[in-house]
Amino acid sequence: MKTREADILLVEDSQNDADLAIHALRHENLANNIFIARDGEEALDFLFCRGPFADRSFDNPPRLVLLDLKLPKIDGLEVLKQVKSDPRTNKIPIVILTSSKEDRDLIVSYGLGVNSYIQKPVDFDQFRETVKTVGLYWLVVNQQLNGVKKATAQVSS
Amino acid sequence: MKLLPELLVVDDNPADVALVSEALAGGLRHTKINSVGDGVEAMAFLNRREKYANSLRPDLVLLDLNLPKKDGLAVLAAMKANPDLRRIPVVIFSTSQLRKDVVRSYEVGANCYVRKPGNLNEFFAAVKSVEEFWFNFVNLPPKENDGLSNHERIAD
Amino acid sequence: MTVTAAAPAAAAGSEPLPSNSTQLRVLIVEDSPLDSELMLHGLQRGGGFDVTCDVVQTASAFREGVKKNPPEIVLADYNLGEWKGVETLEILRQEGLDIPVIIVTGALGDVAAVECIKQGATDYVLKDGLTRLPEVVRRALREKKERNLRRQAEQDLARKVDELARSNADLEQFAYVASHDLQEPLRMVTAYTQLLAERYAGKLDANADKYIGYASEGAQRMQVLIQDLLAFSRVGRNGFTHGNVDCNSVLEEVLTSLAPAMQECGAVVTHDALPSVWADRTQVAQIFQNLIGNAIKFRGQEPPVIAVEAEQADQCWRFSVSDNGIGIAPEYAETIFVVFQRLRARTEYPGNGIGLAICKKIIEHNGGRIWVEPQAGSGSSFKFTLPGHGPDPADGARS
Repeated sequence: MKTREADILLVEDSQNDADLAIHALRHENLANNIFIARDGEEALDFLFCRGPFADRSFDNPPRLVLLDLKLPKIDGLEVLKQVKSDPRTNKIPIVILTSSKEDRDLIVSYGLGVNSYIQKPVDFDQFRETVKTVGLYWLVVNQQLNGVKKATAQVSS
Repeated sequence: MKLLPELLVVDDNPADVALVSEALAGGLRHTKINSVGDGVEAMAFLNRREKYANSLRPDLVLLDLNLPKKDGLAVLAAMKANPDLRRIPVVIFSTSQLRKDVVRSYEVGANCYVRKPGNLNEFFAAVKSVEEFWFNFVNLPPKENDGLSNHERIAD
Repeated sequence: MTVTAAAPAAAAGSEPLPSNSTQLRVLIVEDSPLDSELMLHGLQRGGGFDVTCDVVQTASAFREGVKKNPPEIVLADYNLGEWKGVETLEILRQEGLDIPVIIVTGALGDVAAVECIKQGATDYVLKDGLTRLPEVVRRALREKKERNLRRQAEQDLARKVDELARSNADLEQFAYVASHDLQEPLRMVTAYTQLLAERYAGKLDANADKYIGYASEGAQRMQVLIQDLLAFSRVGRNGFTHGNVDCNSVLEEVLTSLAPAMQECGAVVTHDALPSVWADRTQVAQIFQNLIGNAIKFRGQEPPVIAVEAEQADQCWRFSVSDNGIGIAPEYAETIFVVFQRLRARTEYPGNGIGLAICKKIIEHNGGRIWVEPQAGSGSSFKFTLPGHGPDPADGARS
């Protein structure tokens, strides 16, 4: 079975948070394909096109990765480090979405090159809003690598 | 102690710097804007050299690509190579829509890339959404050597 | 032995003097004085030529002779004792000289004769058939002249094609650079006139508001113009990838982006199942965007009804975009495709007249054609062709 390509990779081990995030993104029509990785190892396999995801291509990276820090198997900072230090993957925008308030996490994350870092609001509605805002900013305001946002040709008469 | 968010605009076009100020003027955030006109000045500001000895390090840098003396990507690379500067988020703000500029920016470590719109209203909207996102939404790293995070500093 | 008639000598190493019908410079390669006399006689008496002539016997003398004083024609004996007359052909080749060689010989078997021609001799003449010599010489000279003319024409053509290509490239680059570099200062003017308009509306006198308004509008119009010019100049530059383009999905995207405009006037677009074409996807989108956009814009009183169709034609697909709008008078059917040609005043219909020029450029760049036909009743039908598949690899890759 060929792995679908994903617009957004959501790395989240909490089912609740994952559901909320997907709901928010789908609601804004921000992404057609969202893939959920449940732990750091799955996230790395996905991004590095190996293991169960060996049929993925480096030429088709997700447009955005939403990454929690506290993950089983391999934690978020390690995922961040590996992705940002490899030229095949270091251009993928990664936004950390975590409940951690630790300064150390902030400092290390930005030092490793995270594109931005956001603390998950505790409130469900606010969390949805947060995901929506992040999605809108990164997928619409921000200029992406596969440039053409919703581009069609210019209108001329 | 209440500190205002600090934005460093690196752009050799004073007209564009003025537009950024206009965009943010009268906003609720009272972002403090500093600007420099070339890459060498940018590094001097960030490293607090000479006349910038008393400047605060910015919380966010809005960086144009085409700069005299030292271009945008060289500034970005220098920031990423410096442990004191590497965690300051950098938003590339450029008229260029060339794929190679976007790709290179991400490769060198830009946090994101926003195109300078040609239309005034869109320009204002872009700048405001950058300000809103980075200063209201995102958690910024604490400035080194004071150990406080921005949220603790801006005691609202 | 040298026999010289009264004829001006050419400077050493230059081309032989152009022969009018009687003057002739000859180099004879012959070891028998009697035979060379006969040849000379044949040319002068028999052919009426006014001959300037040198005679050589050895290969080295020949080489020196053709270099110092290139003749118009070489008459060479087949048998020269230590060497053969056909060797003159090799020497001429080595020196890069195109001089006709006529082998004159006593007896020549057929095999040897063919050999001479194969080696490059223009002809051969038997010594007891020297009456043929003048005619053979004349034909050889005529052929040489034709060769020269053709070579000259080819060189001229190649040079002109080169110049044209360079001139085109210069123009395209100029258009691109101009429109690209103009965007930046223009952005400043547009932004600040607009800012002035907003910040100072009502604060200066009434004229100021009006004047700032004019400046602002002018700047904004210029911005669109420059963007259009840039798009126009970019057609045909590098950066476009040709491949199989599914026109159905392209049309869907274009209709999505035109949805607001369509909704505003109640426009309806119908289409057949469309084929795949060989082109650049963005450019195909541009064609549909411009044609359908125009159909919406130049509508009449009724809501636009637009039909997009395709049918197979010879080696390509023929598309049509037909509407029920205001139509185009037949006398303007060609001019509408010219850059910046507008038929209607700007106050009636907005736009600056580059959309169709862009379509035309894209389509012609892909080897197609675009034209317009009037619709029965009112409205227009724009038709264009695009290749169905890429160049045959057997023809050699083109793009």
